[in-house]
Amino acid sequence: MKEPATNGELRDLPLAKAPDSIWTSIEASLDAPLAGRRPGPLSALRWGIAAAALIAVGAGAWYATRPPKAAWDVVRVDGALTERGKIAVGEWLQTDGSSRARISVGDIGTIEVAPNTRVRMVASRPGEQRLRLARGEISASVSAPPRLFFVDTPASTAVDLGCAYTMKADEDGNGLLRVTLGWVSLEWAGREALVPAGASCRTRPKIGPGTPYFDDAPQGLEDALGSFDFGGGGADALDIVLAEARVRDTLTLWHLLSRVEGAGRQRVYNRMVELVPLPKGVAPEKALQLDPETMKLWREELAWKW
Amino acid sequence: MVTDLSDREISADIVESCRRGDRDAFRALYEAYKDKVYSIALYFFHGDESAASDMTQQVFLKLIHGIAQFRGEAGFSTWLYRLVVNACMDGARRAKPRQLASAAAVDALAGPGSQEHDFAREQTARSVRAALSALPVKFRLPMLLRYFEELSYGEMAAAMNCSMGTVASRLNRGHKMLARKLESLR
Repeated sequence: MKEPATNGELRDLPLAKAPDSIWTSIEASLDAPLAGRRPGPLSALRWGIAAAALIAVGAGAWYATRPPKAAWDVVRVDGALTERGKIAVGEWLQTDGSSRARISVGDIGTIEVAPNTRVRMVASRPGEQRLRLARGEISASVSAPPRLFFVDTPASTAVDLGCAYTMKADEDGNGLLRVTLGWVSLEWAGREALVPAGASCRTRPKIGPGTPYFDDAPQGLEDALGSFDFGGGGADALDIVLAEARVRDTLTLWHLLSRVEGAGRQRVYNRMVELVPLPKGVAPEKALQLDPETMKLWREELAWKW
Repeated sequence: MVTDLSDREISADIVESCRRGDRDAFRALYEAYKDKVYSIALYFFHGDESAASDMTQQVFLKLIHGIAQFRGEAGFSTWLYRLVVNACMDGARRAKPRQLASAAAVDALAGPGSQEHDFAREQTARSVRAALSALPVKFRLPMLLRYFEELSYGEMAAAMNCSMGTVASRLNRGHKMLARKLESLR
């Protein structure tokens, strides 16, 4: 490698000075609830902090009579009425058709609870913040280190890897994850789907997460994938997925590779390398054997196309 | 670029104070890393100062709000740069149509604060900046982490959630691409 040719020049690059306005904006965001500013881009967080402050002052007596128990702050909105309170470990929160709620998960993020949703706080301790979504829809925005915030649903667990997402669960426990920022890992009984921003993944009870797909994927691919994952679509559905896949849909194909065997796996592999040439360091035979290190390296390389 | 290695790692005391919500400690943390984070963002986003400022703010707010949960089993800077990498990647996804660097914006990176008084050297630096900003994301990001932060391969691998082999490979190819681009720019 002819490193010296560019190494020295790179080391000579000047650092740019961060404008003072950045810290000013950060302080404004941190101070916003105390200053009574209108909610900005970080409104959810500000609301959480404001709710915490109000609760600390207004509900002190109630607080003192309760046994110490981990709790998250909740702001519930029903039409024009706003009610503030807390949800403790083991407790349920339910919204009806006309109400919504916002939960502040400690200081790591917020959860917006949509109408007709039922959630339960499962755990709040260092290293684990866990919520159960029994039915309905939540939107989570989390800034914690990865693998600290979990949402259990009847069909799988959404593991936050530093992100924002919505999670839905219907009355039968069928779920849909849609990621808007970062990554989420959807897991159930050893089955895992890694879902990046802009992608979604369905999940079903006793089956677990299906195969993730980008929200802008061809409708035919999305439909065929649903059939393949949960409708017994088999080889016919796989044919459609492979035919419709674009470069970006190697996200879907990478996951499919480990979910099909024999000739099916070879076909998925062939389509993948047709769309994106096999990167250096990924040996075909190891990829087909699903060697963990090879699969990881391949995903890392493909992820730049996602 | 002048990098004082002694200020690279923020002390455990400051991190601990941040975990307790100490605003002065937040400020110290910010001061220690702001220029490096901002520089990465600026070069990553083709000299777009507005995008770089937004990303820097976003990264530090996430850091401040998440630091109470930071348990220290991974290095602090590893977590910080993972936030930076995520923010860059998310920004790149949102701005996919704009692939090429804006020459004017990248030139502006030299800025009045630059200490490059020698004309020839300034020309070279300008070429390097333009070439660097025009590299594909997968090669640009490790180059920036390497040369602005002097991260080790292990630290870069942790921040980018990939193997050290991948880091080495991307740096190697990045250097080659950069050399080719520089040839064409000179």
